[in-house]
Amino acid sequence: MQDQFRLALIGAGMITQGSHLPAALESRRIKVVAIIDPVAERARRLATSYGIDPVIAQNIDDVFGTVDGAVIATPNGSHKELAVRCLDAGISTLIEKPIAVSVEEGKAICDAAARSGRVAAVGYSTRFRESTTLLKELLDSGYFGKVKRFAHQFGTPGGWAPLSAYNLKRNSSGGGVLMITATHFLDRMLHFWGPPQDVEYEDDSEGGPEANCIARFGYRLGDHAFDGVAVYSKTCSLPGGMIIETERGQVKIADNDDAQIAFIPNDRPGIEQVIRRASGPLHDPSISVFRLQLEDFVEACIEGIKPMVNANEGTESMQLIERLYGSRKPMAADWRSPSRAVLQ
Amino acid sequence: MKRIAVVGASGFVGNAVVDRMVGLPDCSIVPLIRSSGNAWRLAKKGIEPIVVDLLSPPAVKAALAGCTHVINCSRGDEKVMLAGLRNLLEAAAAVSVEGFVHLSSVSVYGDPPAAASQSEDAVPPPLEKFSYGQTKLEQDTMIQKAARKGLPSTILCPPNISGPYSPYLNGLVDSLRAGQFALMDDASGPCNLVDVDNLVAAIALALDHGVTDPKRIFVTDAEATTWRDVIDGLMPLTGRTGGVPTITRDALRAAQSGPPATARSLFRSLKHLVSSDVRAALRKDPLWASADGLIRKSAAALGPGMEDRLRLSIEGPLPVHRTPSAGVLNLRLSAQQLRNVRHSSARAVAELGYRPIYTFAESMEAYRNWYRTMHRMNGPEWNILKGLY
Repeated sequence: MQDQFRLALIGAGMITQGSHLPAALESRRIKVVAIIDPVAERARRLATSYGIDPVIAQNIDDVFGTVDGAVIATPNGSHKELAVRCLDAGISTLIEKPIAVSVEEGKAICDAAARSGRVAAVGYSTRFRESTTLLKELLDSGYFGKVKRFAHQFGTPGGWAPLSAYNLKRNSSGGGVLMITATHFLDRMLHFWGPPQDVEYEDDSEGGPEANCIARFGYRLGDHAFDGVAVYSKTCSLPGGMIIETERGQVKIADNDDAQIAFIPNDRPGIEQVIRRASGPLHDPSISVFRLQLEDFVEACIEGIKPMVNANEGTESMQLIERLYGSRKPMAADWRSPSRAVLQ
Repeated sequence: MKRIAVVGASGFVGNAVVDRMVGLPDCSIVPLIRSSGNAWRLAKKGIEPIVVDLLSPPAVKAALAGCTHVINCSRGDEKVMLAGLRNLLEAAAAVSVEGFVHLSSVSVYGDPPAAASQSEDAVPPPLEKFSYGQTKLEQDTMIQKAARKGLPSTILCPPNISGPYSPYLNGLVDSLRAGQFALMDDASGPCNLVDVDNLVAAIALALDHGVTDPKRIFVTDAEATTWRDVIDGLMPLTGRTGGVPTITRDALRAAQSGPPATARSLFRSLKHLVSSDVRAALRKDPLWASADGLIRKSAAALGPGMEDRLRLSIEGPLPVHRTPSAGVLNLRLSAQQLRNVRHSSARAVAELGYRPIYTFAESMEAYRNWYRTMHRMNGPEWNILKGLY
């Protein structure tokens, strides 16, 4: 392997433009040697905009043998095929979340990783947030006492607009707001507590990818039971964040990369404490979660260790998503009472 | 058979138009959007909108191919609103569209509007260049010109639009919750609203009423709604138990006008050039940094008294920040109470046969139902989720 990790970016869309490429260019450990996109001109423009001169290709086969790893940032429906081809060619992959559009596809990626002995990581970037790593430590150590219940929500009217508009088609995205937005929290929830025993789920799909959903979870950990709820919207602004009610008090974390853990103790409900490491955060706060994620991927490739989120964990997230879709009930969607014909 | 292009189909009004028109007999809908980010209400129904760049004449022409009618609900920056509309009108004329419905805005009558703008015949006052009202006014002129050349058109002029998903009402709720909206005087002033479904009904009627000399047509709800009515309708969603702050007309007007504008002065501009803010920016360049270092050394050599006098003369005394009384007000929303004109939809009734489908009370009830469902306020989870508000 060269001094610098030779990285290919597959897909020159918004997430590559705004997150993966700048993160790779910030890192001294990484050299972007190729950008692959079916629209070569888009890839070329992207490279020019950052003043770099990588190989521009329309097909990943053209760069096999010249790269150490690849970021797959393409429509969800194409992840499996690209990841398996890369892994079979001996190229480690960091796959933008979700891992694929089905458990079956996730398992195919896991198999390819095992077969090739290469790394298959999944881009759940919120795992690299300081609030996520610290909260996990605190939950595991029982700092807050037993969890009583939790809630997470996130909603924006619209927002992320990929260049290919794949997000609006179920066959290319695999789903709607659950697959695209909620998957980040589902990954963290699995990280904190593992898979829930019970799930309930409602969404507003009328044939297309759902724009709004609510999921309810029931946990039984030994003799301890608690439940949680998660609400997501692509049509309505909802204050984003997580609340965990615990024996000692209420934990609140806003849904952004810089959020801190706030704690309102039960015995002093009038005050809000900020919980942070006395020694400072694990990583320099000026480093983006995307750069941390890329460097974690490179580290895993070089040292042969597990990345933060591997393909097995990505597939577990997909299993939960399939469970939720499998228990789907329709959401109320008629606000008018009485409802009248607007047009005759 | 009508083939209707809805331009801006993922916006609040465009979505409602598509929602109500899709599936109607003898009618096919072509939903056109600028980007996929906001198109979820269409997508969830399995409707695949077409992404089109209004600034690209060939793309617009291709999108309107075979269309008999166009409903223009698009928004965007000034360039999109003007150059995009020009492309749209040219393409509509090229395919001999039978009806072009354009959404204008009451903002063409100024803010606050003249009392005469109860009726559409009021003459719009001179408006600030590049303002939204000015751009909408320019659009109206473009439509009228295209109509005179033979494109049958209608210009509908709605006030703020209410009903489920209303961004306007969402903004009011957020401001009320944050204590940033103040009611003016006794809140009896008119608040012009139209429910989104009432507007869709008017749009549908307008499709067949295109004329070659279109005048603006106000479309409003039937009731003479006051600000008190609107705010009382929204307060149950805010979780606030105290009353809404109040403000006098004079205080609101003063807050809106802000401090008096500074007159142009060459001396003041020169002083600005040597102010610390400008010098700090210039010091990022090594050449300017060394020049600035020399200036500072020379000033320091004159002694501390002279240095202080120079600084005082250039930058004035150190500022003292006083919290302004209206500092927490959402002025954009609160100041709308100064408009004090009730626009009449008599022309819409007479010329289009417009009849509002929903009353104001029904509209607000529908909005509240939608808001409570979206925010899970009716479910058991609200007990924990409310901690995020």
